[in-house]
Amino acid sequence: MIKGVSTVVGESPSLDPDVRLMLQVREGDETSFGILVQKHRNAVVHFLYRMVLEQAVAEELAQEVFFRVYRSRESYEATAKFTTWMFRIATHLALNWLRDEKRERAQERLDEPARGSKDGGDELPARQVADRRPTTEQRMLYDARLQEVRDAVTALPDKQRAAVLMHKYGDMEYSQIATVLECSESAVKSLLFRAYETLRRKLAHMARGAA
Amino acid sequence: MITCPSRRETTLLLDYASGRLSAAESASVAQHAKECDDCAAALLEYSSVSDALDLWEAPPVSAHFNRRLWDRIESAASAPFYLRIADWFRFHSLKPAIPVAAAALVIAAGFLLDHPSGMNTPPATARVSATEADQAERTLDDLQLLRQFDAAVGGDVRGKPAPRPARPM
Repeated sequence: MIKGVSTVVGESPSLDPDVRLMLQVREGDETSFGILVQKHRNAVVHFLYRMVLEQAVAEELAQEVFFRVYRSRESYEATAKFTTWMFRIATHLALNWLRDEKRERAQERLDEPARGSKDGGDELPARQVADRRPTTEQRMLYDARLQEVRDAVTALPDKQRAAVLMHKYGDMEYSQIATVLECSESAVKSLLFRAYETLRRKLAHMARGAA
Repeated sequence: MITCPSRRETTLLLDYASGRLSAAESASVAQHAKECDDCAAALLEYSSVSDALDLWEAPPVSAHFNRRLWDRIESAASAPFYLRIADWFRFHSLKPAIPVAAAALVIAAGFLLDHPSGMNTPPATARVSATEADQAERTLDDLQLLRQFDAAVGGDVRGKPAPRPARPM
């Protein structure tokens, strides 16, 4: 279980309104917990979706995240920003799920060698993508680009992927990401630098604003 | 790989492209990029990557998310004690402890089955007394045998048939 989160320089848990809400949850105020869920569920589910690439799994893991938050209410201590703690739980669950999934896929490959063509990026399930293009041609172009982005991010090592998702979509500070990933801030910068260098090689050909 | 000295801070250009720098820092980087082709190219690529990542939108969260969560919280609170214990192990990431605890139980059960009277074992002094009585009885038997043997040997000498010694059981 992920318990106390060490205080990180630059974070001010006492000023964090979410921490105040969580302290009220600790006192038995379930309304405050409802507010926290409502406020952060999109960020958590979206982060997990981009990690595991399956909406149903992402929601299930997000349920587990909030369940753990609720279960930990009595022992909660305001030592870091609430979102740092929450994303630490989410990342922990996502990385565990990815590890188990890889193990299962490896086992499936051993069990069913005839299905070799299903391996790799082609086996990603169909995604629900918002159709924002008026024409079929534009939609196809959009889908192709989206698939390219998704494949590039998915191909990153798990920790790099988590760092990129928290940096890009979670808009989290380096110190927060460092706490979540249990490494130093300089290690996070190094992770992100390597990840973005990889993404540059794969995605930089997409002209700005082309989509 | 870009070798510009401005890359000493590995995420400087990335921070610029993602709008994380202060106004002064941004102006400094922009000024540098005007004079450095490598950094200008890198900034363009970082911006392209950032825009490409913006394409990836996640699906909306299902409408029943909150209700499912509350249902789970309520069902966990009203679950039987053994399920709550199992959940406690799972919650505390103590999965490895479960097989260890099970193995310890099996070993303990095996020991008890192998030593059913282990709890009623007589004290050591009682065991010693029983052993001594057994030895004394055997010694008396041996003495009786020797006496019978002596009598038989004496009879032979005196011309009497020797009685057949019989070891008492």
